Amino acid sequence: MTAMLDFENVNVAIADAPVLRSVSFSLPPGATAALIGRNGAGKTTTVRTIMGFTKASGTVRLSGQDLGHVPPHRRPFLGIGYAPEDRRLFSAFTVEENILLPGRVAKLGADEARRRLERTYSVLPELKELADRPAGSVSGGQGKMVALGRALMLGTRLVILDEPFQGLAPVLAQRYAEALRRLRSQDRDITLLITESNPKLLETFADVTLTIERGEIESRVLA
Amino acid sequence: MNSTLAILAILDGISYAALVFLVSVGLSLIFGVLRVVNVAHGSLYAFGAYLAATFSLAIAPISPWLTYPALLAASIVIGVVCGGFIERFLLRPLSGQEDVLQLLITFAAFMIMDNLQRLIWGVQPIFAAEPLRLLPNIAVFGVSYTSYQVILLPGVALATLFGLRYFLRRTLSGAVILAVTEDREASTAIGIDAKRVYFVTFVIGASLAALGGALASPTTSLVPGMGADMIVLSFAVAATAGLGQIEGTALTALMIGLTRAFVIYLQPEFEVLVPYLLMVLVLLVRPFGLFGAVQVRKI
Repeated sequence: MTAMLDFENVNVAIADAPVLRSVSFSLPPGATAALIGRNGAGKTTTVRTIMGFTKASGTVRLSGQDLGHVPPHRRPFLGIGYAPEDRRLFSAFTVEENILLPGRVAKLGADEARRRLERTYSVLPELKELADRPAGSVSGGQGKMVALGRALMLGTRLVILDEPFQGLAPVLAQRYAEALRRLRSQDRDITLLITESNPKLLETFADVTLTIERGEIESRVLA
Repeated sequence: MNSTLAILAILDGISYAALVFLVSVGLSLIFGVLRVVNVAHGSLYAFGAYLAATFSLAIAPISPWLTYPALLAASIVIGVVCGGFIERFLLRPLSGQEDVLQLLITFAAFMIMDNLQRLIWGVQPIFAAEPLRLLPNIAVFGVSYTSYQVILLPGVALATLFGLRYFLRRTLSGAVILAVTEDREASTAIGIDAKRVYFVTFVIGASLAALGGALASPTTSLVPGMGADMIVLSFAVAATAGLGQIEGTALTALMIGLTRAFVIYLQPEFEVLVPYLLMVLVLLVRPFGLFGAVQVRKI
């Protein structure tokens, strides 16, 4: 079976300092993968490389397609959704406008956009109540939910969540984990890649655990 | 100051503010999105004025009314050709490098365009007042004034203000520009081509500068150096408002236009000084401008 995500000997250097060293791993379709590592280990660089935000050597493939030939702004249209670590919502818009914007950019039809919005609300029901709130006025935890909702709009094959639990109060972290379980139960085929520094948070949830240390994948564990 | 002079000053101020707004809002838009202080903006204003005069003089013998579309056509040609060239071939290769390099490259563009302007149109003053003459004078509280300056120019400025507001807040292209303004990488992650947004924004800003020049061309003689005067003034307006603030730029242009007009009638020797004095006073109290905010980029 073709892997959903495939890293082959990927190297990234920032200001001549190596950040990723010969990183290779594969994720099958439908996997829930945890990328575990300490701060500065290379987790965010790994996911930013998938999105095309770093200058990388080696090969990154999505369903066999070499992403090296796909400009960064075209990658979301391949079905990749990305929720960055620091949320990065657009404060000029409401919560719902933030969620819908990727669909408008991708020129989804009205029916398809509505269907995906309903899917997002079914995974994250609390966002429905926040729909008309300015995105700049939501709390940090709510902002993480909105970022996930926005990632789901185009993330039909691979959803990348960069440290989603960082800074969340325990109650919100619980709700976020429940949302991910709802997503997984509703969509068996979607591949999730979640970075985290605390391995315990994802141990019951992930079926693939990758440990990264100093830019190298140290271990792969299949649950 | 008697009431006639006061009315004249107000009308002068409104007319001048309309032109200054068009140029300043282009500068502000470009800064808001690209974070580039475009020193060549004054040259785009001058090129717009000269090309509009060239088109007007060529088309007026066929039909004087065609001079109006000629003004618009000149603005679009300069915006697309010159603005597009500056963004694509001068600014884009410097993307991601130090901001000062972008400032320097637009200064180089300004110097080159200033010389090109002398090469193409010479140094003798050019007059192309046909569009001004076509529209009748009107009486405002007993004072006769050209309707071109007191109705058409403010009308175009207001249409630009509300048009830009509508474009940015109600259309997908506007939403995309707002998103890139706020966060380029997050925009790319949802499928927005930031390079294209930069190009389009620069062309719009450049076209607005050229439109200001084109609309000014019937009201004044075109001479070398007019671009340098305008870039300094439009920067003063944009900085006083807060760079990236569209509505603030409109209000500041009106404030500076009216103040300048009254100063011309009362103390003409201070005419040049007033806009910059206002800018310094405002920036001393509010370093991010009258309508600007710390760490918030708005357009």
